[in-house]
Amino acid sequence: MSDKSTIKLNGREYDFAPGETVLDVAARHDIYIPTLCHDPRLDAVGACRTCLVEIDGWRRLAPACATQLEPGMEIASENERIDRHRQTLLSLYMTDHPTDPAAAEPGAPNELHAMASHYEAPMDWGYMESLRDARPDDRNPYVLFEPDLCILCARCTRYCDEIEGVNAITLAGRASETTISTVDKLSLMDTSCELCGGCIDVCPTGAMGKKMPLVRGDKPERELDKVRTTCNFCGVGCQLDLNVDRDARDGQGRIVKVTSPPVGTTTNDGNLCVKGRFAYDFVHHEDRITTPLIRGEDGELHPASWDEALQAAASGLLAVKDKHGKDSLGFVSSSRCTMEENFLVQKMSRAVFGTNNVHQCAAT
Amino acid sequence: MTNSIGEIRDAEFLFVIGSNTSEAHPIIAMEMKRAVKAGATMVVADPRSIWMTSISEKHLQLRPGTDVWLLNAMANVIVTEGLVDQEFIDENTEDWEKVRESVLRYTPEEAEKVTGISADDIRWTARKYATTEKAGIYYTLGITEHSHGTDNVYCLANLVLMTGHLGKPSSGMNPLRGQNNVQGANDAGATPVFLPGYQRVDDPEVHARYEKSWGVELSPVPGLNLNEMMKTVGDDIKGLFIMGEDIIISEPNVTKLEKGMNNLDFVVTQEPFHNETTRYADVIFPAAVFAEKEGTFTNSERRVQRVRKGVEPPGEARADWEIVQALANACGAGWNYTNTADVYDELARDADKFAGISHERLETEMHEGKTGIQWPCPDPEHPGTEYLHENGILRGKGLFVPVEYRPSMELEDEDYGLLLSTGRTLYHYNAATQTRREQGLHMKQSDAFVEIHPRDARKRGVSHGDMVRVSTRRGDVECRAIVSRQVRPGCIWMPLHFGEARANVLTNDAGDPITGTAEYKVCAAEIVKVADRSETKSGELFPGSYYQIEGPGYNVAEAPYGALKVAEEALRQPLSPDKPET
Amino acid sequence: MSEDRRHEIQELLEKAGGLVPGAARQVAQQTGIPEADVYGVGSFYHLLARPDAKIRVCTGLSCRMAGADDVLRAAELNDLPVEGCTCLAGCDVAPAVLRDRRVLPSVTVEDVHEAKGEWENLRSAANADDEVWFGAVGPERDDPDTLVLNLMGDPDWSGTAFRRAVEIGADAVVEAIETAGLQGRGGAGFPAHIKWNGTRNQAETTRYVVLNADEGEPGTFKDREVMLRRPDRVLEGLAIAAHAIGATEVYLYLRGEFEVPWTVIEDGIERFAAAGVFGDIKFHLHAGHGAYICGEETALLEALEGKRGMPRLKPPFPVEKGLWGKPTLIHNVETIACVPAIVDRGGDWFKALGRDEAGTKLYCISGDVGRPGTYELPLGVTLDELVEAAGGYVGELKAFSPGGASSGFLPASMREVPLAFRSLGGVGSMLGSAGVVVLNSDADLRDAVMTQLRFFEAESCGQCAPCRIGTRYLAHALSKNIANDTTSGAALQHVADAAWQMNEGSICGLGQAAPLPLTLALEHFPEEFEA
Repeated sequence: MSDKSTIKLNGREYDFAPGETVLDVAARHDIYIPTLCHDPRLDAVGACRTCLVEIDGWRRLAPACATQLEPGMEIASENERIDRHRQTLLSLYMTDHPTDPAAAEPGAPNELHAMASHYEAPMDWGYMESLRDARPDDRNPYVLFEPDLCILCARCTRYCDEIEGVNAITLAGRASETTISTVDKLSLMDTSCELCGGCIDVCPTGAMGKKMPLVRGDKPERELDKVRTTCNFCGVGCQLDLNVDRDARDGQGRIVKVTSPPVGTTTNDGNLCVKGRFAYDFVHHEDRITTPLIRGEDGELHPASWDEALQAAASGLLAVKDKHGKDSLGFVSSSRCTMEENFLVQKMSRAVFGTNNVHQCAAT
Repeated sequence: MTNSIGEIRDAEFLFVIGSNTSEAHPIIAMEMKRAVKAGATMVVADPRSIWMTSISEKHLQLRPGTDVWLLNAMANVIVTEGLVDQEFIDENTEDWEKVRESVLRYTPEEAEKVTGISADDIRWTARKYATTEKAGIYYTLGITEHSHGTDNVYCLANLVLMTGHLGKPSSGMNPLRGQNNVQGANDAGATPVFLPGYQRVDDPEVHARYEKSWGVELSPVPGLNLNEMMKTVGDDIKGLFIMGEDIIISEPNVTKLEKGMNNLDFVVTQEPFHNETTRYADVIFPAAVFAEKEGTFTNSERRVQRVRKGVEPPGEARADWEIVQALANACGAGWNYTNTADVYDELARDADKFAGISHERLETEMHEGKTGIQWPCPDPEHPGTEYLHENGILRGKGLFVPVEYRPSMELEDEDYGLLLSTGRTLYHYNAATQTRREQGLHMKQSDAFVEIHPRDARKRGVSHGDMVRVSTRRGDVECRAIVSRQVRPGCIWMPLHFGEARANVLTNDAGDPITGTAEYKVCAAEIVKVADRSETKSGELFPGSYYQIEGPGYNVAEAPYGALKVAEEALRQPLSPDKPET
Repeated sequence: MSEDRRHEIQELLEKAGGLVPGAARQVAQQTGIPEADVYGVGSFYHLLARPDAKIRVCTGLSCRMAGADDVLRAAELNDLPVEGCTCLAGCDVAPAVLRDRRVLPSVTVEDVHEAKGEWENLRSAANADDEVWFGAVGPERDDPDTLVLNLMGDPDWSGTAFRRAVEIGADAVVEAIETAGLQGRGGAGFPAHIKWNGTRNQAETTRYVVLNADEGEPGTFKDREVMLRRPDRVLEGLAIAAHAIGATEVYLYLRGEFEVPWTVIEDGIERFAAAGVFGDIKFHLHAGHGAYICGEETALLEALEGKRGMPRLKPPFPVEKGLWGKPTLIHNVETIACVPAIVDRGGDWFKALGRDEAGTKLYCISGDVGRPGTYELPLGVTLDELVEAAGGYVGELKAFSPGGASSGFLPASMREVPLAFRSLGGVGSMLGSAGVVVLNSDADLRDAVMTQLRFFEAESCGQCAPCRIGTRYLAHALSKNIANDTTSGAALQHVADAAWQMNEGSICGLGQAAPLPLTLALEHFPEEFEA
């Protein structure tokens, strides 16, 4: 035992802070240890068993995610025993999991598949039909649970409990029949679920999938462009990734879905709410106004060219100014629009029309 | 916010007042839940039982509009029990004596009579707040949307200052911003008093500097705020330019406003969708939505973050900044911004707080794994400011302001026996032009509703799901009743989102004398039943809401909602069937 | 959100009639625990999750050998609300059947017909008055000098051993336990004094004692007999342990099928309380609700706390962080029942009673023997000695399972191996809970192995993949339900790899030991598995 807070991992010495786990230190030094049930936001449960490592003096392999470091520990994350462990574990997983990646939700990459092929785990052990119950009658519009793909890592149920805090879903049943359920197998609509979709986001295999691909396209996620932007709902400023199908709408692009940026990289820490994750139907909605409109003599709105509309608007506003004075104009800017747009509106109000009558709905 | 969202999870005490955090700011609520899970104590002060009260140590269910009494009584406890941070007060503040004296008459016992919160709970909360190091206050429109909103804010500030909960992590005074870019819109100068960066229009130095920078003459007289503008629409105001705001939904006392709108000479709007306000427009420009344009939003914690274009706008729609530039030029301005980065640069050039921020820097730092920059950020090397006032108060000394209680402008009486509050729900957003077009949100809440306590509902013969008429002195609307213990007896609550039952037909436009913010949170109202329960638009009757599942005093047998059908039916059967089903 | 009432979940669900629709929501109301959570907990425990089944026929190995399959089929044909279950701790009275929560001994097909389709009417002809019944025990004498448990002795409510423990002090008590060489008799054989010291030496002063009476290992029924016959020893042992480690709260977790032992223990608690023997030590009885895994100590703690009985990661061990995170001493019934005699007569006395290892041991024996039952014999007797005490072999010995389902099967040629922790460990098996099952030459070993594999498949908690998937995989492999590679060599290798993985990768002992029935049988009886 050395007195300093150091450990050895694969023969090299590393410092660690009290409370840190094997996985923490490995991650900091880019040493890859596979995980399926781990999420830095959640308490470690060590249930998926992919992260087992060997610790000198310990008879049994230990989960890297849940094993707190003690000074002097000597740890191996790569050796023959661990190789065999990973391979046989992943082979076993695959007897309980569709081998065809296309069976997964269009989009979400299947971490189990990727891991099994990374470790070249034999896939010829056979296949057993899943005994996990689904909830086929769940009428909720977003979350589709496909039990065949579920590996019971419980990221979703733990997220629902520990982060979202609504406890709408739970591990239910036992043994091979263990599944993800709601109370009395009710629809999510009839539970405490707030439809945040966090379960979808944390699922490593796509068992918790989105119900919407038919509406918004079915390209797999890897063929979509991810555009990082800021949510347009409340004032938290969540970062989100618009997953855009560039070819859709004759090359104008379509938002297929929204995903969270990785945990730990943004203010929202990988979390989104129901609006941030799902409320995008409005963007491509048929009710959008698509041309400038001018109200005619008949009192109705008529489509117009940009030039016509700009001229009409300019002369209308200037006429009010000329007739009633500059302070007879009011400029209502918008806290929904960008900083730049607000800047230009106030500048227009002040510099072009000469009035400080500019404000927006800014009650806080 | 004086502090950052990321600090919330480390807080040890959270005082949440006038904020339905899990619905209005779900992601901040997640951070609060995390703090509570890690052992923090949360106290929620709110007239309604909200989700957050289910994890709070105490729920101070005060009578609407009595915040000043509650907060002054907390200050009273802190003063009389010697819990003040005298060193912080001496070094950083002014006018302490005034507040110290003024709160003495706000005893917890007197406060109990006014607020309905027990003196013991007030004492407990005050002690816990004062004696916990990482103690933060979180509030939003429940504090500000009152005729005494500014008073409420001063009271909170007094508590923060007297306990020295400022300039430290996980503490401070944290208004949670309602809109995605409330902070940015104010920062950018879209206010009648301030040019960008909170520089007063009537400050001669500022005035001169901006006249020089922009090369035009500027008015040195502060303009009208929104509330004032709306009150004089059709009278003093004869023309309106409106960008992205449905004032007919979002402004109070709409009936009066609509009359004024009819008397306007000219109205220009820029909108992605038709709404209540576009009905008055002479010219409408088709606007892009956030996913179709570039720019920045600034969030509650002063973090400037990029908005990026993901898809092309439909048809001939254009980004608002392009439209404004084209309109200004049509009026003779001669602007020449090629992109939003240019606009930001000009903004930052004349406002020190943002001088170190640019689109270019935001882009570079995103690739380094950072997310936005928190102002103040005076130069390109400055890392941004996580929490304010770290080395003493930002502008000189923190000023204590004594506050005396003033009742809300309108209280319940014989004709209008209930107190109406308004607010938001998780499933919709503002005028709901976006959210009502989304299937799932529509399923959760397809119809306008008003929440009423079972006791008040019984008195009026109202059952869950019935159509009712809600009326105030300013107008009436029809919507569905949700019979729920989430509201206090004597109080009702409505969301503001629904065009067919505009809560703001009902609300009082009496404003706070300083900010002009209207009293959306308290007015006298009455309810009568107009029709029995009928099919809602989505066929769902507000399924699966948390308050129906575990509200205080909630009882399955009395469960008011359709979603409980399964459980209700199950309960009608004996729970231990003698014979198993076959 | 207060978790204060979480531990009541299972009890309240039972009162609500099990997990019928609406029950979870109702219990959520009562406890303040989220309804999905309540549902998840209830669904874990078979007695709660399947409220419709009023009759459960044990389909464990010994019961199947005694005709359980026929009884189950008869019950189905009679339209009784019946299902099979994995273990009722009644191998000595096979086939055992559960009616609601009462175990009926030696139920026959005729008994089932007699019920005439009404499950409430089901009786065992062997116990026609439906009274408290006892299993056979041996030696059939009251002999406190050579028998530690002395099952034939009269209960002693005087509290003499407890008073002596108080008199000599905690240090001396633990020293006696250490001298005695007492090992845990639940299956692991871990030295008891290390646990006692481990708990006593924690800085945290709130500590608990927990009794593991969730006896569910097929082949094992001794704890039932100890509680029925010597509740005094169990309670006094617990009180001594509590005193020694500085605890005042003692939790007793009895499997849900132990309706009768429950009442006996409850009476015992009242008797001691009436006499005021144990000072401020309080006993809390908790019922299990049908989950073998809760015999695993950390799963049991989870169950006590009102959670799904999924084992915890170790470390930390319960002595450090146990019940509600507090240091906890947890012992099997037999282990704790040894304590009063050790305190009374000294550690050396106890130690000398054993042969290979210390003390006497309760051996359960069932299957093809003359008088199945519970026998207290020196630790380390051979199979032949045990069977002799139990009325001799019926038929010719072919194989035996030395210590419950987890111990696998050994061939007749290993009948001389002492039935003790170390010696059985040495041959790749284990003494476990000493539930010995004897199979004669009529037995279908492949079927016997399958029974054990199905048992583990059904009783895996489902938390970790190696166990959840592995237990099922092995059962499938044995029944050739697996679409395997063409060559049998590859299939065998997959089984070997899966077994290796289960042992290396599983969180707890269930998954680690679950392959043994198959791997030991493949090793010792390869001919039984040829196609």
